[in-house]
Amino acid sequence: MNNRSDRWLAYFMILPVVAAVLAFVIGPTWDVGKLSLTQVVMGMERGFGTLDNFRALAADPLFALVVKNTAIWIIGGTILCVLVGLAVGAYLAIDSWQTTILRALILLPWVIPDVVTAMAWKWMLHGQVGIIGSTIQAAGLTDEQVSFLGDPSLVMWTLVVVLIWRKMPLVALILCAAIRSVPSEQIEAARMDGANAFERFRFVVIPNIAFSLTAVTVISMIWITAEFALPWIMTGGGPANASQIMSTYIYQQSFEFFNWGVASAMSVVNLVMLMLIIALYLYVNRRSWASGADK
Amino acid sequence: MGSVNLRGIRKAYGAVEVLHGIDLDVEEGEFAVLVGPSGCGKSTLLRSIAGLETISGGEISLAGKVINHLPPKRRDIAMVFQNYALYPHMTVAKNMGFSLRLSKESKSEIDRKVTDAAEILGLTELLDRYPKQLSGGQRQRVAMGRAIVRDPELFLFDEPLSNLDAKLRVQMRSEIKELHQRLKTTTIYVTHDQIEAMTMADKIVVMRGGHVEQIGSPLDLYDRPVNMFVAGFIGSPAMNFVPASVRDASVMTTSGAEIGTQEGVESVGEAIAGIRPEDLRLSDTGQEATVSLIEPTGSETQVTLRTMDGNLILTTRDRLDLDVGQAVHVMAAPGKTHLFDAKSETALKLRESA
Repeated sequence: MNNRSDRWLAYFMILPVVAAVLAFVIGPTWDVGKLSLTQVVMGMERGFGTLDNFRALAADPLFALVVKNTAIWIIGGTILCVLVGLAVGAYLAIDSWQTTILRALILLPWVIPDVVTAMAWKWMLHGQVGIIGSTIQAAGLTDEQVSFLGDPSLVMWTLVVVLIWRKMPLVALILCAAIRSVPSEQIEAARMDGANAFERFRFVVIPNIAFSLTAVTVISMIWITAEFALPWIMTGGGPANASQIMSTYIYQQSFEFFNWGVASAMSVVNLVMLMLIIALYLYVNRRSWASGADK
Repeated sequence: MGSVNLRGIRKAYGAVEVLHGIDLDVEEGEFAVLVGPSGCGKSTLLRSIAGLETISGGEISLAGKVINHLPPKRRDIAMVFQNYALYPHMTVAKNMGFSLRLSKESKSEIDRKVTDAAEILGLTELLDRYPKQLSGGQRQRVAMGRAIVRDPELFLFDEPLSNLDAKLRVQMRSEIKELHQRLKTTTIYVTHDQIEAMTMADKIVVMRGGHVEQIGSPLDLYDRPVNMFVAGFIGSPAMNFVPASVRDASVMTTSGAEIGTQEGVESVGEAIAGIRPEDLRLSDTGQEATVSLIEPTGSETQVTLRTMDGNLILTTRDRLDLDVGQAVHVMAAPGKTHLFDAKSETALKLRESA
């Protein structure tokens, strides 16, 4: 009896969260799914139960470019973010007064709002007045000022660099914490076993931080997939769609061109992609050394 | 295998010196045990020999070669850590073969050496397991296996048994000892447990506060401690100490009772007499005492006695007919009293007897 009322109380207590998730996550997702299967003409819904939106997407010549750009953005961004983060984290894990200060300073890019970051970088990278381009030119490395955001062959990678500047610090800090928690006896045992610094890192540190490393990889992948403000403010997808990625293209299709159906179809594709990434994460984290349960 | 020679080893952290010039020679094939209370510098000394700590002064040589400035990997020394320090992501076989893999030995050679070592240590069945799937004693053995596959000049053990329960500790103690008798590799072993030191060592090094107090064989240290610290540290229950004076080979407590006789000692007004519990006997004369506690362990009985000069512990293998509160007289067996200077706490010299 008592048990039963306890259970109802428990359900009652989690009700607000359940309601919020239903209203703001499940509900909209359901709507988008429905919308992606609905034909929309001039902002008017014209019949449910069609794959026209997906067909239109496949036929869209721009979509291939968007997919390619998104791949650079997500895969390139994630790999570089984690690699740079790992290098910086390994450096920050060294005990000295310099790293103590740097560990605090490195979070600065993280606390600056997206919009401020985007605007600051946009001006620094500007084709005529940007300080970065003019510095490189003044140093004699280029004949004329490079327009990082205006050159279709550079713009995507330039965005990735800014992305890393912004996202890497937290990755570095998480990995730094993980590296510092590797038992020092294991490192010492490896030294006694004859491992040099690289071998200690490769064979002792990396396996010990493997869980943090996969977690941080997947988390940054999700962050980067969801990142919208940075590319939108810096380039708006330009020049000539050269930096158009999934998130900006969905925004443009839905809120500038009002192609709700196609935009929803793209969102669904995006969602499926994210779910695949998460499934991969769960799969990788499923195994553990010798917990005994899996073996 | 090689001998280890330490000359004037100093180690300082900033202004704090923790090793004050240690001299020590360990012969080839010898099992030396560094023992002392925590903070005495024994682990630091061991880690300095391993190369995990850099020394501030002195010279370390192994097999006649000075190794001070070599990194650990080039010293040809294997070390077993207190918490085993096994690599959790490698199987037992991988753990043991890691050093061989780093030194680029062939796969078949690694397999052969690992299998041999596993056989010696009884780990053959466990080679595919991960450290998490092993018991404490098994992990300890893997840690030893990792050391022996390398066939190094020198083994170092840093309190390897302190994480095990009492029964396993006794078992592993004899296993390590047997392993040493079999491999005859020079070994330096650190412990704070004087029983481990007594049972395992060829040579015990007693340390305190960054100094070596005494070096000798276990029975040497037990029978002829050079000072009160060594006398009190070696042996369990610990040696009894009472303030005393010596006149004509007779040792008297401050209350004037005779507590022992010791030939060859100069008469001295103020000294400390040290008597091991098993050398203390009930007798008709001697120090008056009251029985305050009787603790039989089966094989022997430990009796705590209250006297005017403090408590005394007596152990005996005889079955005693004693009651708590009973008044008795105790005295040391003839010639079994250790005498120490009251100020310097060093042992008083005995005259050479003919």
